Order: sequence, then structure tokens, then C-alpha cells
Amino acid sequence: MKKLVFYSVIVFVLLLAACSEKPEPAANDDTNTTEAKETNQITLAIGEEPEQGFDPTTGWGRYGSPLFQSTLLSENADLEVTLDLATDYQVSTDGKKWTVMLRDDAVFSDGEPLTADDVVFTYETAKQAQSVVDVANLEKVEKNSEHEVSFYLKEPQSTFIHTLQTLGIVPEHAYDSNYAEKPVGSGPYKIVEWRKGEQLIVERNPHYYGEQPAFEQLTFLFMGEDQAIAAAKAGEVDVLSVPITSADQSIDGMNRISLESVDNRGVMLPYPEPTTNEEEEKVGNAVTSSLAIRQAMNYAVNREEMVDGVLNGEGTVAFSSVDGLPWGSDKAVIEDNNQAKAEQILKDAGWERGDDHIFEKDGQRASLPLYYPSGDQMRQSLSMVFADQMNDFGIEITTKSSSWNEIETQMHANPVMMGWGSHNPIELYSLYHSSMQGIDYYNANYYHNEKVDSYLDQALNAKTENEANEYWKLAQWDGSTGLSAVGDAPWVWLVNLNHIYYINDHIEMDDQKVQPHGHGWPITDFITEWQWQD
Amino acid sequence: MARYVLIKIARLVSLLFVVSLLTFLLVSFSPIDPVRAYIGADMLLISPEQRAAIEAYWGLDQSLVTQYTKWLGSILSGDFGTSLIYRIPVAEVIADRFFSSILLMTMAWICSGVIGLILGSLAAMKKGTWIDRLIRGYCSVLLSTPGFWLGLLLLLTFSVWLGIFPTGLSAPIGVTSDEITFADRIYHAILPAITLSIIGIANVCLHTREKLVEVLMTPYIAQARANGYDGFTLLKRHGIRNMLLPAVSVQFASFGELFGGAILAEQIFSYPGLGQAVVDAGLEGDVPLFLAIVLISTCFVFVGNWIADLLYVLLDPRMRKGRNMS
Repeated sequence: MKKLVFYSVIVFVLLLAACSEKPEPAANDDTNTTEAKETNQITLAIGEEPEQGFDPTTGWGRYGSPLFQSTLLSENADLEVTLDLATDYQVSTDGKKWTVMLRDDAVFSDGEPLTADDVVFTYETAKQAQSVVDVANLEKVEKNSEHEVSFYLKEPQSTFIHTLQTLGIVPEHAYDSNYAEKPVGSGPYKIVEWRKGEQLIVERNPHYYGEQPAFEQLTFLFMGEDQAIAAAKAGEVDVLSVPITSADQSIDGMNRISLESVDNRGVMLPYPEPTTNEEEEKVGNAVTSSLAIRQAMNYAVNREEMVDGVLNGEGTVAFSSVDGLPWGSDKAVIEDNNQAKAEQILKDAGWERGDDHIFEKDGQRASLPLYYPSGDQMRQSLSMVFADQMNDFGIEITTKSSSWNEIETQMHANPVMMGWGSHNPIELYSLYHSSMQGIDYYNANYYHNEKVDSYLDQALNAKTENEANEYWKLAQWDGSTGLSAVGDAPWVWLVNLNHIYYINDHIEMDDQKVQPHGHGWPITDFITEWQWQD
Repeated sequence: MARYVLIKIARLVSLLFVVSLLTFLLVSFSPIDPVRAYIGADMLLISPEQRAAIEAYWGLDQSLVTQYTKWLGSILSGDFGTSLIYRIPVAEVIADRFFSSILLMTMAWICSGVIGLILGSLAAMKKGTWIDRLIRGYCSVLLSTPGFWLGLLLLLTFSVWLGIFPTGLSAPIGVTSDEITFADRIYHAILPAITLSIIGIANVCLHTREKLVEVLMTPYIAQARANGYDGFTLLKRHGIRNMLLPAVSVQFASFGELFGGAILAEQIFSYPGLGQAVVDAGLEGDVPLFLAIVLISTCFVFVGNWIADLLYVLLDPRMRKGRNMS
């Protein structure tokens, strides 16, 4: 009997020992990395995996650094235009011809030189893909010499500069159906390995024409938010992005930074009366097609309460999708949390409170669903608070948690909690121009205003950015109509979210831009300039 | 014997057929539009003609029956389709994850079997003493502990606080595939495996204990004791075979729970295996990947139960009498 106990204990101890013994091979490249090794490679856990891969012609690299590829032009922290692959560029007087001169020392990571042919190839490929609105206006792109390219636009387009700033150049000789998985480019880093669902490993591109970045290797981890925080606490992560819902961590050896953004959230309201579109999908909504309802919501809602309550102060109130950007209009700002005014707007339009305190008009109750994507805590909380505020005011809102698939079938006819935010003013065009109705997620509420359309067209076709900004602002409010809350109010914009990161004490980053939509990758914008400080 | 194997295989095939049909029906009733899901975010890159071609290829303009037979046809020709999330063949997505998951489940399974047996026998031999009470109490606590909570506890203790184990993933950070050793893989699977095995231990342990207690009350044990056998020798000569039965059947019948538990453990530790893949596939409407994993897990559970049946026959002579082996 004693023997049995003894044996059991032996076996148990052996098992434990087997379990806790650290395998030798891993000892020198695992958690016990030495400081010296740590300084030339860093680990980032900054959210979503770019599952579609790394092909710029289908949208990779629009936010943050494309890492593997480089762009013709670039943008500094003050959103000013800077040169990258280009040594110079010119726009013709009619705004339809853009000529870009290329540097002659740019080489792809496989050693092949980058020439005008690659630029032409990239833009033609993107044009065929039809995924980027800006390229739709590109009539043709021609090579003038090995190092000079001309872009011919169908119409003048002020925002074309943003395309030049964001579209990474791909190599014609190494572009095939596997490109998205195994990109070759002229950017500061080249891909080593992408273990899908787990990590992406990149290393310095020795052929990079610019200044070599300070870090030899970057590893991007793709793990859940909670696991990423745990990994950071265990000292395995150098750059961590956290959602606002868990923004109060204390992690030894890491600094917390909170960056302002135009990453906004708002409720999109279907604009027309109920009907159907060509694809037999339901479009429009009997309640939200009423201007009074849309404006009343904008005036009755208490945005400050959302910033304090839901975001814990980590954000700002939003009155448009372009708050604080050079093309944002201060006329879009309204005095909200004003139930009296909201009620007056409704009463003037013939809405009356029923027995249950909910507004009615001609037998139509002001009752709406509000869809939000399941699994997004932030949007869920915002939806709940918005619904509470509206129910108290007298517009009945029922929140509905759904998959994006389901939302796509409902979003033309029902309110949805959406989010946008970009450094490119074209987003205003995409969200509000009637030609963009029902394309992808753009203008999914089928907003349509002739006057606004014409301002948006003029902004897009302006020859200078300043002129364009004037028209972008007019589209929001020109004194009598506009797409903002004082005008047609097709959206109830609520908040701009701050982006919160924890960064290793030793890593020095310079200023960041106002962050666009999509928390995570934008932080990599100036990754080539990060330094290690002992 | 050959007939028996044939019958079993026929059963597996019919089971897979039914499961795939049910899954297919459920998916077809879900709000996910298969073409939209198939094209995914590339909706804009697809011309209306291409979309029509895809619809024709999937036969979406035809009845559900025709659709199902088509899908079945491509599965039978070994084509699991393309994962919508990753845009590569489903087989490739599953390959590496399959290894990770099998490693995790094997470790957990062996752990729970061995430790469960040892603890169960110990408790039975010491029936009524404090050791017995301690082990039984431990099992009851484990059985009523939520797995995810335990996983988080282990994660916080051993990874974050003590730093003995990695916090997640199936391989070291920043190390390429060809540099990853088998030891690395095991090391990364330990914590999830412990989480996964905890429940199993309690199950096997309690079953073993019950059976052994029963065995120890039989006349032949009394006889053996009278002959001077004691403790481990007694157990070895007269107890083991009898008490192994319930333990083994519980062990092999637990394949289903093992798979279910793995989904949870993989989520907690961000361990990229089949469990995590099936959750992603479900959430993102990746139908081909989803169906493939459903079929694999069905096979897995079926084989587990089958092995349990076989071992019963091998271990218990009484089962062979009727030659009734299916």
C-alpha cells in the first residue's frame, strides 16, 4: 500500500517535471531574450490580422505604413504632402494631367530596380480591380521615360494626391495570384513568414533606398485582445493596442499613449421613403425618411454623456465624419442634449406624443430597430446608450445584434451603428454622393441631395486643395442646405474614439497623425523612424 | 472481423452523410448569402457576369437537393473548396492547425487518463480515509469549475505572474516555421492542455474509484487478501483489468468533450488550432472551412467511440461470448 502511494507520487512528480521543464532549443529565443537582442527586434500586438494579405491594389496599406511597399508620395504628421518614390510632381493647369518623376535608386526586395513600368502596372491593376474609388477617375497612365510617369484623369480630381500617397507600388515581374501572401516591394521591410492566425514576421529590406529602420525584425501577433494584454504583462510585447473598454491597464515597463482620431461612430439613418432597389433589397424607412425625426435625434442625443460614460473620456464628441480635419466645417456643430428643441422640431412637422410618450404621425409610431455588429463591445454600448436616450425622449429604439452579413441585408432600410474616418476627403464623397448609393458600405442609407452632389463634384474636381476644402465645407452646410445635422441630417454622428496604445518605455516615437478609422495599423505609419533608447 | 469493419465503415459514411446534410441545411437557413460569403470583401471586384458564373457553379439557382449533391461531389473528389477568410484552399488552412489541435488534445488526453487512473485507484484503495476524501473533494470542485475561468487563472498565474509558460500561440514569437522545434510546440501546448485535461481527470478518476471499490468488495479479492496479497500487488493481479473498463470507456467516449473543450482552451490561449478556426469560420461565415472542420470532428468522435467499443471486447472476455461486436 505504501508502495502504491510512493509510485503515484513519483509518477506525478515526473509528469509535473516533464510539463514544466523548459525545452532547451527554445531557451535562447523565447521569453528570456536578452536586452541586446531585444533592441533590434520588437513585437507588436496591434489588433486585427490583415487576412486578405498584402496587395496594395486591393486595399492593403491604406492606413499606416504599407511596410512591404512604398508609395509615390507620403504624408507627414501635419498631413502635409512629402516625397517618397517621387522626386517631384506636377499638375497641369486643367488639373487633368499629373506627372510624377521617380527616383532612380529604388529597388525591390528581390534586387530588381523599380521603374516607371511598375508604376504603370500598379495603377492599371488597381484600376481593373475597381476597388478604390479614386482610380475610377483615372483614364490612363503612361510611361514617359524610365523615371517619369503621367496620369491622365477623366475629370480634375483634387483627392488624387491621396491615391499617390497611399497606393503602394507592386513589381510587374513578381506579381501573380500569390502576391497578397508573398509580397515583394520596395518598402522598408520584407516579409519573412506569415503564419496565418498566429503571427507575421518581417525583417529589414537591405535594398531599401531610404534610411534603414532601427529594428532588424518586427513580429506582429494576431491574438485576442485579452490575450494580447496578458502577453504584454508577461513582457512579451513591445507595442500593444487596447480597446477603450480596457484602457486602464497598468503594465510595467510600458507607457500609455492616447491618440486623438477621426475614427468615428454614428447612427446611419435610411434617407428615402420605403422602396426597393435593382437587387430587390429593401431601401428606405417610413420613420427615418422624415427630416424632423432625423434632426430631432441629432438635437436630443447627449454626446458628452457617451464620451464620459461609454468611452471613459477617451474620445471627443462628433458632429460629422470629418471633425477637426482641414475640410471639416465648424457650421456642422450643434448644441445637443436639447430635448425641448428636438420636441419643437417634431411638433412643427406634425408629430405628436401618443399615450405611451412615443411620437406618432398619421398612425406611424416613431419606432425603429438599431443594428450593431455582434461582438463589438464599443458599438454595443453606444447603441444601448443611444437607445436609452431616445426612448426617454420619445423615439422608440430596439437594439439588434447581428453579423455583418445580416447587417448588409438590412442597412439600406434600418438604422445601423457605423464607423468611418479617413485622412482622405474622398470619404465625404463616398458617404454622401448619390452615385455611391448602395456600393459596398458607402452611402448605404441612400442619401440624395442634388445641391450636395454638385458641391461634392466641385470639391472632387477642384484644382487645388484649398479650393476643394471650400466645397467640401459647402457640401456640409451652405446656409440653406447640406449633409450635416443642421441640414438633411442623414446621420447622427456621436463620438470620435481615441486610440490607446501601450508602448515599451525604450521605444521612442515622434508625433503621430490624427488617427484614421481602424485601430492598430495606423500606429505603424512612422515605424521607420522609431528608435530604441536605453 | 472483415464484415464487422465493413459495417463500421458503412456506419461512419452514413453518419458523415447525415451530419453534412444537417450542417448544410443549417447553413442554408442561416442569413449568410453563400455567394456573398464566397466572394467576401471582394464583392466590388466581381463583375455581375462573374457573380452569375459563381452562382451557376454553386447551382444556387437550383433546388437545395441539387446544390447539396454538387457540394458532396466536390468533397468526394477531395476538394474542400477555398477558405473565404484566408483565400487559400481549406486543406492548407487546416493542415497546420490540425497538427496543433491533435498535439493539444493528445497531451490533454494522456494527462487526464494517467492522472485520473492513479488518483482513482489511490482513492479506492484508501477508501474512507482523508486521502480518499481529499481526492473526491478535488474532483467535485474540478467538475463544477468552469473551464474558461480555470484557463484564465492558469494564464495569469503561470504566464503573467510567474512567467514559466508562454501566454499564447502555438510557437515562440518571432521564430520562423523551420526554426520551430517539436519541443517548442509541446511547450506552447502545455497550459492549454492542462486546462483541457482538468475536467477529464475528474471524470476518469471518479469512474475508476467507483469500479475499484466495487471490485475490492468481491469474494475473490477477499480470497486474495487471505492469501496474503496486499496493496499494489493485489491491485496488479486482480484489480487492474476490472477497473480499467470504465476508465477506458470514459476516456475514449470523451473525444467529443475533448473537441468541445479544445475550442474553449484554444480561445483562451490564442492557440491557433481547429477549435479557433471553427469559431472564426462560424463568425465570419466561412462556409467551406466550417463544413470541413465539422466533418473532421465527426470522424474524430466516431473513431473515439469505436476504439472504446473495441477495447471493451479486448479487455472483457464476457463481451466476446455473443460475438456481437457491432
